[in-house]
Amino acid sequence: MKLRALLTQPATLGLLLAVASGVLLSEWFFAQAQDELLAERQERAVVMQAMALADQVAAVEAAAPDSSAPRLAALSRAWSARFSDIVAIRVVRSADAQFLASTDPRDVAPLPRQLAREEKPLYDLGQELRANVETNAAEGVFRKKQIDVARLDRTRLRVAVPYAVGGQVLGFVQVEQRVAAPALPPATGRVAVAIAAPIALFLLAAAAAWRRGRTAPPGRPWAQFGVALLLLGAALYGEARDGLAELGARHERFAVELAQQYTAAKREFESATQALAVKAVTDNRWDVDDYQRPRAIIGADGSVDRIALADELGARATRVTRGLWGNAALSVLVLGFVAFGYARRLRLTLVEHKIAYRYVAPAILGMLVLVFFPFIYGVTLSFTDTTLFNENLPLRELWVGLKNYIVILGDFQVIRGTEGGWVVNYQNFYWTLFITIAWTVCNVTIGVSLGLLLALALNTKGLRFTNVYRVLLILPWAIPNYITALTWRGMFHKQYGVINQVIQMFGGEPVSWFDGVFTSFLTGIATNGWLSFPFMMVITLGGLQSIPQDAYEAARVEGASRWQQFRHITLPYLRPTLIPAIIISVVWTFNMFNIIYLVSGGEPAGSNEILITQAYKIAFEKYQYGYAAAYSVVIFMILLVYGVFQNRVTRATEAIA
Amino acid sequence: MKANRLKTILGSARVWTVLVLAAWAVQVQAAATTLTVWHAYRGKEKAAFEKVVANYNKQAAAKGVEATTLAVPYDAYADKITAAVPRGKGPDVFIFAQDRLGGWVEGGSTVEPIGFFLDDKTRNQFLPSMLEAMTYRNTVYGLPLNYKSITLIYNKKLVKVPPKSSGELVKLAKSLTDAAAGRFGLAYAYNDYYYHAALQNAFGGRAFDPGPKPVLNAPQNIAAMKLLLKWIRQDAILPAEPSTALITSLFNDGKAAMVFSGPWFLGEVAPGLDYGLAPLPTIDEAGGKPMRPWLTIEGVYVAMSSRHKEAAYDLAKYLVSEEAGLVLAVEGRQLHTNKAVYTHKAVADDPVLSAFRKQLDTATPMPNFAEMTVMWSPATTAMNTIVRGAARPEVALEKAQRTVEKDVAALRKGR
Repeated sequence: MKLRALLTQPATLGLLLAVASGVLLSEWFFAQAQDELLAERQERAVVMQAMALADQVAAVEAAAPDSSAPRLAALSRAWSARFSDIVAIRVVRSADAQFLASTDPRDVAPLPRQLAREEKPLYDLGQELRANVETNAAEGVFRKKQIDVARLDRTRLRVAVPYAVGGQVLGFVQVEQRVAAPALPPATGRVAVAIAAPIALFLLAAAAAWRRGRTAPPGRPWAQFGVALLLLGAALYGEARDGLAELGARHERFAVELAQQYTAAKREFESATQALAVKAVTDNRWDVDDYQRPRAIIGADGSVDRIALADELGARATRVTRGLWGNAALSVLVLGFVAFGYARRLRLTLVEHKIAYRYVAPAILGMLVLVFFPFIYGVTLSFTDTTLFNENLPLRELWVGLKNYIVILGDFQVIRGTEGGWVVNYQNFYWTLFITIAWTVCNVTIGVSLGLLLALALNTKGLRFTNVYRVLLILPWAIPNYITALTWRGMFHKQYGVINQVIQMFGGEPVSWFDGVFTSFLTGIATNGWLSFPFMMVITLGGLQSIPQDAYEAARVEGASRWQQFRHITLPYLRPTLIPAIIISVVWTFNMFNIIYLVSGGEPAGSNEILITQAYKIAFEKYQYGYAAAYSVVIFMILLVYGVFQNRVTRATEAIA
Repeated sequence: MKANRLKTILGSARVWTVLVLAAWAVQVQAAATTLTVWHAYRGKEKAAFEKVVANYNKQAAAKGVEATTLAVPYDAYADKITAAVPRGKGPDVFIFAQDRLGGWVEGGSTVEPIGFFLDDKTRNQFLPSMLEAMTYRNTVYGLPLNYKSITLIYNKKLVKVPPKSSGELVKLAKSLTDAAAGRFGLAYAYNDYYYHAALQNAFGGRAFDPGPKPVLNAPQNIAAMKLLLKWIRQDAILPAEPSTALITSLFNDGKAAMVFSGPWFLGEVAPGLDYGLAPLPTIDEAGGKPMRPWLTIEGVYVAMSSRHKEAAYDLAKYLVSEEAGLVLAVEGRQLHTNKAVYTHKAVADDPVLSAFRKQLDTATPMPNFAEMTVMWSPATTAMNTIVRGAARPEVALEKAQRTVEKDVAALRKGR
């Protein structure tokens, strides 16, 4: 069955899956882009009219604020009559909670009147728009939206535009309008061709190669992969080109329609201008974005600026192509995965060990939800610029790629020379890394040495009250380290602290512990040393129990000294227990937030911060979440590399020969 | 048999229908509005607060509204609000200080603007500058409930007449200081920017200009730092490395004659220690202007996720009313924001409450911008560096200013 053999080759299957997923995903990307384009076009249409109306309302209010309501009512009626798409127009002066005009019959007449209790959302909207305009002006950046757009359903939009009198935003104009939502012709033909053609071509090529006796299926995987890759590339390229052409054509058509709409709005505006003292329109300041910045695509005379239009299309296309490249990469991965047989191997494994997988499934699920998802979210966050102010925007808009990492890892300005001498930049990543490594090395050394010493001491044969000693020595670990850290901090006080008083008792000078970088470092070491030796002691005690006594007897018979016994029997036997404990201790100490934060607090001047306290300060004091996420990923990478390296080098988990 | 069984089934069916209908009827009647109030009070304050809410329930029972309170531990409180309210799982009303308001408004979907409900009568019932603390970008977000600030607390045994000016303060403190014996005339957490702000504001210094624009290195701030250094070095009236625990223990041991601290300090004073309260002195070096401490004003906010916003506002209005204020002031020892509360004898005659009320005349609300949080860490670093003598005030403040400007710009990315 030649055909059957051809069809069930891994490469064919891979190509089918890859092409199907690639083409369907790229269709989805284009559908998204088209939806976005349509939504924007609908919004722009309504915003233009609302902006023109707002200009007129501002003029009316400026002229006669006390009697503006009847003129506003007339104005709204005129606009509603002229543009049949408009469903309702409302004018609200939120400065004093007055509802000035409305063409919606559901709003209770007679207007103007005070806003009713259920109309609080209108008041809040007015205040929000006013606050946003003022914020943008005061801070000099456009970060708050000055126009509120609400989509009621696929064909109705409600836009609110603030109006200002004498430089002060007094209220807003809300326009509810029906918009056209032309559907795109379905692309099933294009999709079918894009999926079927590569498969057919591939089968033909494989059959031809087979007939010529070159290879019998499954044949040489790399060659097949190469051919499949070429066909996949061609299919995706064709898809992309078609989709982009369609996008471009629609973009152009919309621009022309919007220009016509602008001209109509301008005519209506000018016809009412004689009655109101409004400046003539010399530029198009109605086609604006959500921050009321002019888009500068449609000129004041209704002409379309081709260059600006092309720029806008280019920006849109770039966004789509970025998605398409990701899509292509995914398809290639799928192709490779199936074509090289990994998929088949996976399937066989799952079938062979299906009972085992069923047992493990709940744990896999738990790990996915509790460990992998937050981790992946953190990693994704690290590629964005999320801060407190913009965290409700979608991550897509905040993407900055590797910028955070470059800022963290590329800042080599650790030491600067100034007139006062060398000045160290304590916020620098590399200084903090140095302190963290020094901190970890010192602490683990002290902890292990102390723990080993005490374990050996406790393990002496014939020692009485070992239980009492053991309990006392475990206490530092048992008491919550939050409390002991604060106690130690008090002990290091310059004047009232116990340690300085003991030093003075012995005739020394009191030390300002937190004033110097090194002395401040020592405070942390002392506290953490005290806290960490019980853990090491317990682990070592356990390890010591498992050493066979006849090894010692043999050594004693041979005449080995105590030190030689220790070096050649005790230590090697302790290795499988100690090394994992050391790895754990290194990771814990590397991330020991409590001691650094509570004892020295990074004093002086942030010089004793470790990586994790820096990350905390960046996230919760500076509110720069994306940057802090990048910092955390860097910490993770360092520890991962260390863990893998340590395990390899020491072959720690292998038992003693 | 069959007839019997049928009868039993029918009988039970009837019984069940009646039961179900009754339950439904009871539920419909008891389906009153339930409001949840979160707070972080403990002890006397908590008891007084719950009494006030119980009073409210008595009055509001007629409208079918019932309020329940929940005491949240303070450490997790702010994060709990930030996490729960935007997801619709939070309370209807919550009480919090004004320092987080800016952050919550910028984050969105936490605090409901209540300017719409505010009428002139409510607006005018508050002490001056209280409502200002609840306003962000000219929108009112909460009703102020109580205020706290630091003031001068002195040991009556050591200090007969509290000083009125900084000259008197230094003279008095010097006479009571013996550094070798560990006794100091004045002790306060001067390396905490919050406490230092009182001194800084006397000179006209501030952390932010309207905008908000950071101005940590303003000349007035530098002048305030120089005065502080004079107090520490030349006059030597302040202890080294002051932490709140140290200040408390010094005062209780009689080793600190005067302390600048707030109402939270009074709960830690040893029983039997006769202490007095007085307004903070004026600063001669600033032209005789008074020290203006920062006010921490707790407000009652309506959560944006609340389903009964009007009822919630009603409850908030009751909490800041004169009736509730009296209970909270007398029993909860809170400094209420309602002007009328201070006309009652029980409050006017209370030495603690009236002392803080007097201090209010020269106090100023702490800014509620979101940008405040990025200011604390660099400001604290600058204070520690200056106080230790590791850097001159100009240099340290300049460094802090640059850090804060950078961090504020990082927050404010334009689109």
